[in-house]
Amino acid sequence: MSKNLRIGFTAAAVALALTSSVRAADVVKIGVNVPQTGFAAADGKSALTGIQLAVEKANANNGINGKQIELIVYDDQASPKNSVPIATKLANKDKVAVAISGSYSSPTRAAAGVFQRSKVPYISAFAVHPDITRAGNYVFRTSFVAEVQGRAAAKLVGQDLGKKRVVITVLKNDYGKALAAGFNSVAAKYGIEVVNSYEYSIKDRQFGPIVSSIKNDNPDAIFDTGYWFVSAALVSQLRAGDVKAQIVGQEGYDGEKFIEIAKGAAEGVIITTSLDRDSADADVKAFMTAFKAKAGYAADMVGASGNTAARVAIAALRAAKSTDHEAVRNAIAAVKVDAVTGKISFNALGEVFKNVQVQIVKDGAWHRHSIIDDPELLAPPSK
Amino acid sequence: MVHFELLVQGLVQGTIYALVAVGLTLVYGLLRILHIAHAGLFSLGGYIALLLANQTGSFAFGLACSVLLVGLAGMAIYRLAYQPILDKPPYVALIVSIGLYIIMEEVFRLVFGPSTISFINPPLQGIVEFYGIRLREVEIATMAVAILFIGGVGILSTKTRIGVAWRATVDDPEMARSFGVRLYSVRYFNFFMASVMAATAGAMVAVSNNMVEPTMGGVPAYKALAIIVMGGLGDVRGTLFAALALGIIESFGTIYLGSILDRDAIAFAFLIIVLMFRPQGLLVRN
Repeated sequence: MSKNLRIGFTAAAVALALTSSVRAADVVKIGVNVPQTGFAAADGKSALTGIQLAVEKANANNGINGKQIELIVYDDQASPKNSVPIATKLANKDKVAVAISGSYSSPTRAAAGVFQRSKVPYISAFAVHPDITRAGNYVFRTSFVAEVQGRAAAKLVGQDLGKKRVVITVLKNDYGKALAAGFNSVAAKYGIEVVNSYEYSIKDRQFGPIVSSIKNDNPDAIFDTGYWFVSAALVSQLRAGDVKAQIVGQEGYDGEKFIEIAKGAAEGVIITTSLDRDSADADVKAFMTAFKAKAGYAADMVGASGNTAARVAIAALRAAKSTDHEAVRNAIAAVKVDAVTGKISFNALGEVFKNVQVQIVKDGAWHRHSIIDDPELLAPPSK
Repeated sequence: MVHFELLVQGLVQGTIYALVAVGLTLVYGLLRILHIAHAGLFSLGGYIALLLANQTGSFAFGLACSVLLVGLAGMAIYRLAYQPILDKPPYVALIVSIGLYIIMEEVFRLVFGPSTISFINPPLQGIVEFYGIRLREVEIATMAVAILFIGGVGILSTKTRIGVAWRATVDDPEMARSFGVRLYSVRYFNFFMASVMAATAGAMVAVSNNMVEPTMGGVPAYKALAIIVMGGLGDVRGTLFAALALGIIESFGTIYLGSILDRDAIAFAFLIIVLMFRPQGLLVRN
């Protein structure tokens, strides 16, 4: 390397270091852990798009009291072994004012403990495991806890759809098991007889044996707790195997991809989720349009949830008028925000109460089926 | 009746395993390389068949191109990755192979995107019904091509001159060479055949699930390894038997043991039991 070149590089490096330290004082940092590679990368893209839309909108509207928001994003591959070091880095090295999880239950649950110990506020956008907010008072969740959604599904199946003989197919991870537990906890109350239940792994795509056995069970409905990339294959194979029972899914199905894979078999599938595609609300409509323009595909539950969590973080930072972690935490706890997935305010545990949106696949697209708003049934845990 | 269905479903799954594992065992038999990147070729086969079918509207065309291109890719892997290190200890090739597989998975993600891709018009979706069992055309087609390929390999290796050269090379490469067998041709041919089978399996799985994803080779990668170990490394008949047995055991296990062990755990429990009682492989006499 010539001497001039070396001096040039050194000067550039110094200049970069200087500008970044100057910038650091002018920005408010929000940390994000989100899967950008690995099996959950598609959901990660949706979550991040939702978060970015909220941040872009806020930055265009005077940021956080005049300061621009900077997103610090790390790829956790939806794995706890990555989310823990990421949480440590966000809290101690990047010194973010607040952090958002755009990831699944297992990594979020692991990261929550780290953020709690570092006393950095942490908002989970769409992870459902009940233990996440139990990490402590710095951890919040803007989506349904799994047991609430499981209970809503039981009401939907047993009461609203009137299906009594039910088979449950359970994805064997934090997410799937917690949903099934919620469903089972109130199944009897709605007159549901769970005639059989099956477990499968997230890597399974061939469900021939389960389909054969379900055909023999002859249920009225099937409640499935998998993600779209597993369950689309399950649903297709159930229909190919001539199982005609009503299939009820949940948030994990939410998105265009489920329909793209399952094709005709997706018709009539009903899910519990938190984004109403047929909403007349101008804010929701604007979000759906902006999301489609940015991501290149239609908005989904994960994108809407990422957007919701980011809006909560931004509202709290504005209200706190400081990036002090305790002030921000208290501001989040007191926040009242209208978001695309509903009105957000937290209980003592950091959980929200929201209506459950029931959506159905009709003519190859998600549409409103009904809304569940029973306050007793949907009450989140408070301790 | 349910049991008969479970048996058939197990056989369907077993033939998919067999298509991948027989190729793997062929490579091991010839070169003593545990060719993990084979699973990457399985994914590549799925991607090429699906993308070309979506482009041209013809799955047959997509499948034909996939089989040919992946066969060539397998030969290229042999030439560029394995041939230069054949004189090194076997674990060197194993490490190279694992590295290759990881690279392939990441390249699929970078080139084709992290999400799943599906057929615009999924082929072979019709239902065939016999004795009360409903199978999709794709499942029947998978079994048919598996029989065709594996039977073909069997006939080729026992009844033809190429097969004689092939087996001679497996037994004693130096001796084979002294009798005029061109070692490199045999090896290229071996990789080509193995890769063709992997591509076919990948394409069939892509149709069956109506999707391809960058990580789709993950399960075949380690299951095929377990199968060729059970089959007695390098033994084609044993591998075929182990693949079908595993498919059937998984099928029943999913229903009757599913709440205790998941599918993978069942596969590895079976592997451990086989290794305890028949460490030389299921069908190997010794």
